[in-house]
Amino acid sequence: MIEARALTKAYADLRRGQFIALDGLSFSAQSGEIFGLLGPNGAGKTTALRILSTVLQPTSGSATVNGFDCVTQPDMVRHHIGFMSANTAVYDRMTAWEMVEFFGRLYGMEQEQLQERMELLFERLQMQNIRDLLGAKMSTGMKQKVSIARAIVHDPPVLIFDEATSGLDVLVARALLDTVAELRDQGKCIVFSTHIMREAERLCDRLAIVHEGKILAEGTIDQLQQEHGKKDLEDLFFDLIRNQDTTAAIH
Amino acid sequence: MNWNNVKLIFAREMRDQLRDRRTLILIAVVPLLLYPLMGMSIFQLSQFLRHEAAKVQVVGAEELEGHAWLPPLLDGEQFQPILFDNPNERKNLALRGATQKAVDGAEHAEHDPPVGSKTSLEAARKLLAEGDVQVVLYFPEGFGKRLELVRQSLLNRAEPSATPDATELPEPQMFFNSANEKSRIAQLRVERVLRLWRTGVMQTNLRDGNVPLNAARPFELKPQDVAKKRQRHAAVWSKILPFLLFVWALTGAFYPAVDVCAGEKERGTLETLLASPAQRKEIAWGKLLTIMTFSIVTALMNLGSLGVTGKIVLEQLSKVSAFAGQDALSLPPLESLVWLAIALVPVAALFSALCLAFAAFARSTKEGQYYLMPLLVIIMPLMFLTMSPGIELNLGNSLIPITGLVLLLRSAIEGQYMQALPFVLPVVGVTLICCLLAIRWAEEQFNRESVLFRESERLDLGRWFVHLVRDRGNTPTLVQGVLCVAMILIVQFFINLALSARSSGQLDFSFLAQTVFISQVVCIALPAGLMTLLFTRQPRKTLMLDRWPKFSHLAVAALLAIFIFPLGAQFSQWVQQLYPFTPEVSAQVTAFSETMAQSPRWWLPYLLMAVLPAVCEEIAFRGFILSGFRHMGHKWWAIGFSAVAFGMAHFFLQQKISAAALGMVIGLLAVQTGSLVPCMLFHALYNGLTLATGDLAGQFKEDALANSFWEMFLVADGSGMFQTWVLVVCLLGAGVLLGWLHRLPYLPTDEERLQEVRERQLAGA
Repeated sequence: MIEARALTKAYADLRRGQFIALDGLSFSAQSGEIFGLLGPNGAGKTTALRILSTVLQPTSGSATVNGFDCVTQPDMVRHHIGFMSANTAVYDRMTAWEMVEFFGRLYGMEQEQLQERMELLFERLQMQNIRDLLGAKMSTGMKQKVSIARAIVHDPPVLIFDEATSGLDVLVARALLDTVAELRDQGKCIVFSTHIMREAERLCDRLAIVHEGKILAEGTIDQLQQEHGKKDLEDLFFDLIRNQDTTAAIH
Repeated sequence: MNWNNVKLIFAREMRDQLRDRRTLILIAVVPLLLYPLMGMSIFQLSQFLRHEAAKVQVVGAEELEGHAWLPPLLDGEQFQPILFDNPNERKNLALRGATQKAVDGAEHAEHDPPVGSKTSLEAARKLLAEGDVQVVLYFPEGFGKRLELVRQSLLNRAEPSATPDATELPEPQMFFNSANEKSRIAQLRVERVLRLWRTGVMQTNLRDGNVPLNAARPFELKPQDVAKKRQRHAAVWSKILPFLLFVWALTGAFYPAVDVCAGEKERGTLETLLASPAQRKEIAWGKLLTIMTFSIVTALMNLGSLGVTGKIVLEQLSKVSAFAGQDALSLPPLESLVWLAIALVPVAALFSALCLAFAAFARSTKEGQYYLMPLLVIIMPLMFLTMSPGIELNLGNSLIPITGLVLLLRSAIEGQYMQALPFVLPVVGVTLICCLLAIRWAEEQFNRESVLFRESERLDLGRWFVHLVRDRGNTPTLVQGVLCVAMILIVQFFINLALSARSSGQLDFSFLAQTVFISQVVCIALPAGLMTLLFTRQPRKTLMLDRWPKFSHLAVAALLAIFIFPLGAQFSQWVQQLYPFTPEVSAQVTAFSETMAQSPRWWLPYLLMAVLPAVCEEIAFRGFILSGFRHMGHKWWAIGFSAVAFGMAHFFLQQKISAAALGMVIGLLAVQTGSLVPCMLFHALYNGLTLATGDLAGQFKEDALANSFWEMFLVADGSGMFQTWVLVVCLLGAGVLLGWLHRLPYLPTDEERLQEVRERQLAGA
């Protein structure tokens, strides 16, 4: 469903010169699984997911989503994904209903089908009470619900969540994780990036630990624990990153 | 492009803007309140003006008394009503000291000393200096006698010696203060009154002396204004209205543009939209249409509100005497509003696209607001140009963006449809091209990651320069290409200033040779060469000198130069007919070619004017600059922009246009052959042919070539133009060669390749 091959992204940076945000990142994710990208801030998770959602273009390498190439067929890719990140806000001067409807229509949904789908979503995400509330007046949790509804209104086969829980309180974050798990159970292919170990542990079927644009380790949680001889994911994470930094320092 | 998506985005943006209080205030509340408020204050001011009469201190009024025949000048505290063209103006001048009563009055005793004496004149001048009166009108002692003597000399003209000479006697004097606006105006009014009175005195004398009145005035001069009242109104409005309307259209576009682009970035919804199926182009168009709607509505609301307020205020003002009878103060004719509305659409489109592009670049609304200034700096001079006296609609002016449109609009408002008709096509064409370019630019902004995801970085010039050199690419970037153009133009400007300061006025060959050498090597080759070495990793690839050209490419370049040359010469002549050289430029051009002819060796001009530019200009324009521009991803845009840059580097407007056209051909040659050598060959040959034909044309002028072999090719009038059959053959030949070139497989840049793949897939889908 998702296939990233040797993705590289370099930015021009005045201070650091050429800054390599992604350095040959490869991974794949299938339907019915949650693939986690776990890494500290600035590891390159957002860049990778922005490339998958066609908002950015890779400097080299390629990626396909549902069989469509992210660089040459960006329109098709965007039709088949739902993208949600800490940066995808809701419109202040639009109500929840208007916002979801607007995106549903951009996805080319028929009016009747859209209405049906929206009623269902608003019911399931318990959003009926904020239906006519303007974005500016919503709490963070409400906004998050609208964002989810916006991302899944067209029932895409692939979903990308980029640090979706950042800034949420425990209750709202828990609700969001439950929704993501539900979506996986419906057979969606999900990529989920986070820097919070617990979330990754709880949610991801497989995960990759990313640091400085590279994947340090990849596999199911069990595999990772066995391979690196650490029970606790947090210890494992620290070890990997420290090793990487020491190697980098020696070179 | 999916227009459904554009419509959706447009509808969303419109709703969003209408829910925004700031926008509503700008487009609805401001015009609805602003003009009534302004009207009110003008009205208040006019009521204030009504009571403001200028004070005129009369000294020596008694000199006018005791002459029964004398037409009266003073009438109580005012001048005689008959002495005004418009009797309503009479109350603008209030007299003091005109009657004995005023002098005797207790309240004036302090200010107005007894009239008729020397001291009273000094007192009056003191009042003037203090600003208590605006004009002092002084009839010195003896002025009455002067009037009498003048009259006597006319009545007794049979015996001239009987009347003493009157010229020795004093004349009236008027004092005013030119540093004071009110005093200056009052002086003009009093002067006019006195002139009329003088005419009255003269006429009375003539009548009493039995001389026909027309003896002193053999004819009357009455200028007749052929403009109809409607046209007079139109002439005033045609200058003001387009200007006002376009300023409103610009401000109406700017603020929504900042909100829908920079505002969206700031609020974090841009990424939401970018990840949706809407293409960047659709997003840009949806936003563009929103901005355009606001631009148009703002302009119309302002116009409407101004119209309604204006009508009410003008009606009131016309009742106020100070403004009565003035033609300019009336509403514009209705047709003019129709023309304004028609012109508003393309102007709004152009401004909206420009605003969109600027606003898309801004990171935040605050940064966006700063971009209004550069936008105004670009647009305002184009509008002010039309205000300069004497500028009128002609083909040259009609080709200047915005200026042409404003001038056309002015002609339409003035009702000169037949004069305006020939220029409709060029104006509409230029406006549409500008619109398309601006829209294209705005679209481009939405395709650039560096614009959409700009992060704030501390401005550090040193660090930036280090970054440019350290992180240089194989070939220059687009921005570096633009920078090179700017660099060349700036260096050229200052070197030209320095050279013209050095020239002694008399040109000689060695000075000219130095000038040409400096302007080619220092102004053009040096900046481009330095930038190539500093900013690129592969200088030879950048300058397209990394591989030796094929022989066939060289042959085609040489043939193409021969075929294109006569066409180019013809084109240059058309350009010169369209924009004739001014006499000064003509003189300069002649002096230049005459000095060139003084060359000590025949081949020196060819080296200086053909070989040197071919090397230097090609290194810059087809080398560094075109390499940079090709990162745009569109071959033709890159060729076009490099051609425009090539044109701009030339000296006179006429050369600029011809050079830009030629730049298109050389640009194509560069891209298709992938080598700079054919371009240099073409350029050198073309310039060499220009010099050679110039020589031949000179010989024709001296009749040295009459009936020779050359007459088959060249027109014998010495203009250097070719016979029609030559032009036709060359057109065909050039067409074939360009077609062949166009079919050559060329080496696309990464950006161009990506664009091609995308276009293929879009066509496939």
